[in-house]
Amino acid sequence: MNIPIDADYENRRVSLQSLAMPLILAGVWTFFAFANPQFLSPRNLSMLMIELSVTATLAIGMLLIIVCGHIDLSAGSGVGLLGGIAAVLVFHTHLPSPAALGLALLVGIALWGLMGLAIVRLKIQAFIITLGGLLIFKGLFWLVIRSSTVPVMGGEQANLYSLLTTWYVPERASFSGLAVVAAVITWVTLKDRGIRKASGLPVDSTELVVLKTLVTIQTLLLAILICNLYRGLPLSFLILCAVGLTVDFVVRHTPFGRYLYAIGGNEEAALACGVPVSRTVITAFSIMGAVVALTGFMQTAYAGASTTTVGDLMELDAIAACVIGGASLKGGRGTVLGALMGGLIMASLLNGMTLLAVAPEIKLIIRGTVLVVAVLLDVRFRQGS
Amino acid sequence: MTQAPVLSTEKITKRFGNVAALNQVSFDVRPGEVHALCGENGAGKSTLMKVLSGQHPYGSYDGVVHVGGKVARFRDVRDSESKGIAIVHQELSLIDSLTVAENIALGKFPRRGWRIDWPATNAMAARTLSRSQVKISPETMVSNLGVGQQQLIEFARALAKHPRILILDEPSAALTSEEIHTLLEEVRNLRTQNVACIYISHKLDEVKKVADRITVLRDGSSVTTRAANSFPIAEIIKHMVGREIKDVYPAREESKQGTRLLEVRDLHAESSLDHHVALKGISLSVQAGEVLGIGGLMGAGRSELLMHLYGIWGCTTQGQVIVDGAPYSERTPSESIRRGMMLVTENRKRFGLVPRESVHRNLSLSSLPAVAPRGKIDAVAERTRNGAMLKKLHFRALSSESEARQLSGGNQQKLVLGRGLLADPRIVLLDEPTRGVDVGARREIYEEIKRLAKEGRAVVVVSSELPELIGVSDRIVMMNEGRTTGSFTAGEFHQDQLMAAALGK
Repeated sequence: MNIPIDADYENRRVSLQSLAMPLILAGVWTFFAFANPQFLSPRNLSMLMIELSVTATLAIGMLLIIVCGHIDLSAGSGVGLLGGIAAVLVFHTHLPSPAALGLALLVGIALWGLMGLAIVRLKIQAFIITLGGLLIFKGLFWLVIRSSTVPVMGGEQANLYSLLTTWYVPERASFSGLAVVAAVITWVTLKDRGIRKASGLPVDSTELVVLKTLVTIQTLLLAILICNLYRGLPLSFLILCAVGLTVDFVVRHTPFGRYLYAIGGNEEAALACGVPVSRTVITAFSIMGAVVALTGFMQTAYAGASTTTVGDLMELDAIAACVIGGASLKGGRGTVLGALMGGLIMASLLNGMTLLAVAPEIKLIIRGTVLVVAVLLDVRFRQGS
Repeated sequence: MTQAPVLSTEKITKRFGNVAALNQVSFDVRPGEVHALCGENGAGKSTLMKVLSGQHPYGSYDGVVHVGGKVARFRDVRDSESKGIAIVHQELSLIDSLTVAENIALGKFPRRGWRIDWPATNAMAARTLSRSQVKISPETMVSNLGVGQQQLIEFARALAKHPRILILDEPSAALTSEEIHTLLEEVRNLRTQNVACIYISHKLDEVKKVADRITVLRDGSSVTTRAANSFPIAEIIKHMVGREIKDVYPAREESKQGTRLLEVRDLHAESSLDHHVALKGISLSVQAGEVLGIGGLMGAGRSELLMHLYGIWGCTTQGQVIVDGAPYSERTPSESIRRGMMLVTENRKRFGLVPRESVHRNLSLSSLPAVAPRGKIDAVAERTRNGAMLKKLHFRALSSESEARQLSGGNQQKLVLGRGLLADPRIVLLDEPTRGVDVGARREIYEEIKRLAKEGRAVVVVSSELPELIGVSDRIVMMNEGRTTGSFTAGEFHQDQLMAAALGK
């Protein structure tokens, strides 16, 4: 009887892929740091963090869709539309910003839930349904904002909407927050390890556990220190953390998460095993709707106003981030950490190129090239290991 | 029979990491000879065939392969084919969405200029088929054919390459006895054409009928090679498992009759895709603590019946299904599981496994809520429970972290069975539970069937093998062309009567 010898299945998958990504990321960062020293300035890193929050949040939502074997091409249009609806509600209707954001969030959940329903009931591929969504939402978006510019603030007064990308956690609060987070991480790790050990299940070696915990806490500390050199930890980054942790928990520790992977791996078998396929897919799309709304709010707030180009091509960045992060477009594979890393690579590229004042035409070409090269490298690395 | 071997291997050793899948295997086959290869799942038969067919290229193993007296160094499958080796795999390799002719001509379409010459293609396919006496139109879509017919086409396609050595890997696993008869006839014909044949099968009576010599592999080593006519089946089994299995079937016990858990009344159903009517009047019932066997020829509608009861095939046009006293009409797998009915599928590739997920995650798929009481999966409870199930089924993989697609047929079957049992069903529908499973594992599956009945569950077993049905069932119902044609209770099982019912007489 040989039951598991080594650590969690998920862990192993991550370690295999994460070889290539940090190297690519290091390459990208080194290049930009040499090309323009401003790249590593606290101000720019702080802005990169906000841009990362936007890209990676959407990528993590997209991961849910890709893992169950579908795709969402409408996410970018949705980012514009839902951000636009909230902006119109604040600027024209003079609704309090929390209510405006809440309403737009509900619209997002409803629209994506409907697309999910259409995919499972009408049995039309997600590619087609969301391609329709891409066009319809873009049209609705322009109708909603009357193809004009709608600010996210009703007057001079900052509101919750505008604060999404302009509010920073005060220095003191960020350090005490980190202390709490570090304590929770340590406690959960120890508790989990204790239970596993007591039940005779495999656990990582003590050194590895200590190393993992320390690296996690140190990374967070470094991020906070850098941010505090500018204005502090951006609020949008906390939103990314919340979305990332929630989705990570859901895909790894709930039946819903297992069902996503099973549906992506072999839908007929999943159905025959009694997996509630329709419910799972509709739920995944509804969550995606909420994520698109959050991304839309952050992206629109970052631009300061809703304009016709907000959200353009963002679905492709999100898909690229997932794929760079090791997700398979055939479904059944992918991790939150991977999508986060993929998002970081895409966001760094955009940020660096903007800093170097690269022409928009060239930006597009470079983003495409990096996507293809990154996936190629990742495939090679995995074959090698 | 003193001709020089057309193919021989000398001390072949093939390792995967630290595990030797083949250990110094020497083996040969002469022109016009049928040489059978027997062994349990995982004994190394498939690995040896992959070496011979170039799937494991020269250099990835130690030892020497000789073909026609010369050392062979195959780079790939194409290379071994060019040296006259053709292989028919256990897993079907025909493309569903193409016609029979297109499948046969694939890669070597006759052309007229830059276009495909369709009349010539069809004519070529027809010639190929008629040579092997397969009566199927070349223009039929493969998706419309049964597994048995597809297997015969694969056989014909391999023969069309005019091989010197033909490897048949479990060719009869999915065939009806009639089709097997045709197939064995074909294999015997190879002798007159001086083709050497390596025949791999778990069905030992078949092996005895067709083989000249038999080699037994066990744990990667060749244990013995003997002439088939002086090698009794009991001896072969003894060599295969390394121990003596006196009786493959567990002893029959008096079954006590319980409540009626499943009843089917005059059920008619058709495919939801092409409206093919597969069930034309099925009536049967199963009680708690009883094993009901369902037999019949290929195409009798046995698999369709089980899949239809479970809710993954077709729509009912007439009749009634009653589960545990209550009518059950809107059938879906999740609702079936909720009512305590589980299907262990024959088609593992399509309905049974998520190929790239681990054993562990596949095993849990039908019973996750049980280990996630408050929405979060309790990893410890899940592992403990799954580990106990794997142990109970004598699961023999290296690790429960292996991906399902890497497992042998026997282990895949146990995985699918284990997943079903974890959902704790009261009615267990087993479709060909021992297909592709070796002798040792078979016995374990039969014992599990007995145990399920003893625990008070109702078990339905569909099988193409009459001895198996007779060995495990308390009652047998035979089917013919979508109808139930006879019901027999233990004590009145006679192969000839059962066969007559299967033939609709």
